[in-house]
Amino acid sequence: MGVFAHAERWHNGQGETEDMNGSGERPKGLILGGTCELALVLASKLIEKGFFPVLTWRDPEGRGKIDASLANFPGHYETIRFNLGDPLSLETLFAKDFCYNFLVDFAQGDYETLIAAADEDRIRAYFSENVAARAILLKRVARGMLRMKRGRLIYVSSSAAERPAPGQGFYAAAKLAAETLYRSCGLELAGKGVTSVILRAGYVQAGRSRAFLEANPEIIRQVPLQRALEAEEVAETILFLLSPAAVGINATILTLDGGLSAGKTGIMKH
Amino acid sequence: MDILKTLREMIMDIMDVDGQTITAETYLVRELGAESIDLLELSVSINHHFHITVKDDDIFLRNFRLFLVEAERRGEAPSSYLGARFPFLPAERIGEILADLEAGPALKIKDLVSYIAFRSKG
Repeated sequence: MGVFAHAERWHNGQGETEDMNGSGERPKGLILGGTCELALVLASKLIEKGFFPVLTWRDPEGRGKIDASLANFPGHYETIRFNLGDPLSLETLFAKDFCYNFLVDFAQGDYETLIAAADEDRIRAYFSENVAARAILLKRVARGMLRMKRGRLIYVSSSAAERPAPGQGFYAAAKLAAETLYRSCGLELAGKGVTSVILRAGYVQAGRSRAFLEANPEIIRQVPLQRALEAEEVAETILFLLSPAAVGINATILTLDGGLSAGKTGIMKH
Repeated sequence: MDILKTLREMIMDIMDVDGQTITAETYLVRELGAESIDLLELSVSINHHFHITVKDDDIFLRNFRLFLVEAERRGEAPSSYLGARFPFLPAERIGEILADLEAGPALKIKDLVSYIAFRSKG
């Protein structure tokens, strides 16, 4: 396939570059929550850069969505069924025995409710799925990367983690917990070649955000940039974070919200 | 398969120590100064090389003292209580560790050998 002429040097956790043209095998990356729009935009860019994304889906509809989106790249990606809420699917995921060079984690469940109104069984299930299961997945992926002495762990979080709206308490709690897990991995393993970064995205023209922004156009006036980000921009940022130059960005949070969280809320005029 | 020989090579690589000094009786923490990250690397390496699932808490005898306290609290004989929780360790080794605990972390290379041999049988 002549399209894939330029295989980028890819991240190996220590800032060293490796030209994977010689090995003949494209570096594999696990994309959790691979059916969301951001993941799909990222996946095509990854393929064009010479990577081999492995995208997870929860139901056949999701798999269909991935295949439709990446129809131009047959044989250059793979899909796997994985659900944080299903422990067996974790075993299936790792039965594949892929060596992942990087992980980009978009997976997130939702439970919108005031904390004091929440269903107690759902509380247990929500944290089991979004925190405990994620920690177990992270453990397994990190161990594989540790063996190869290289790896990049990227968690796609949200500015809502730090500043939830009423009703987003569980979402924010799970996000913050996940952020800390990723940060700790980068803290603990960077000396052995495995680094991590958390990307807090603000308003993006993608998926559920797009519908929300269309319904609430005045929200954008709060953003210093005066617009939401494009999915492409977020994907390009992730590509940069996967590059060798970004190795120093380790165990830390990058906020990609156009400046929204930088200033006093509600006041954009001077 | 010479488990000890393979382990010696792994430890030389991971901890950058002289292989000549490593025997089955060598203490990993007390003598070689292994830290958590070293043990983690070792665990991952053992996992991959010997094709066994490694439970870090078990192979590195992490909860030995905790279980000892538990046994005492429950009024159970330490050796049988610990023997049930570390089934890969020979009974005489458990006795050895109990006598050795005061002096520091008791983990020896031979404990890793026992674990690998035990898990490989499964």
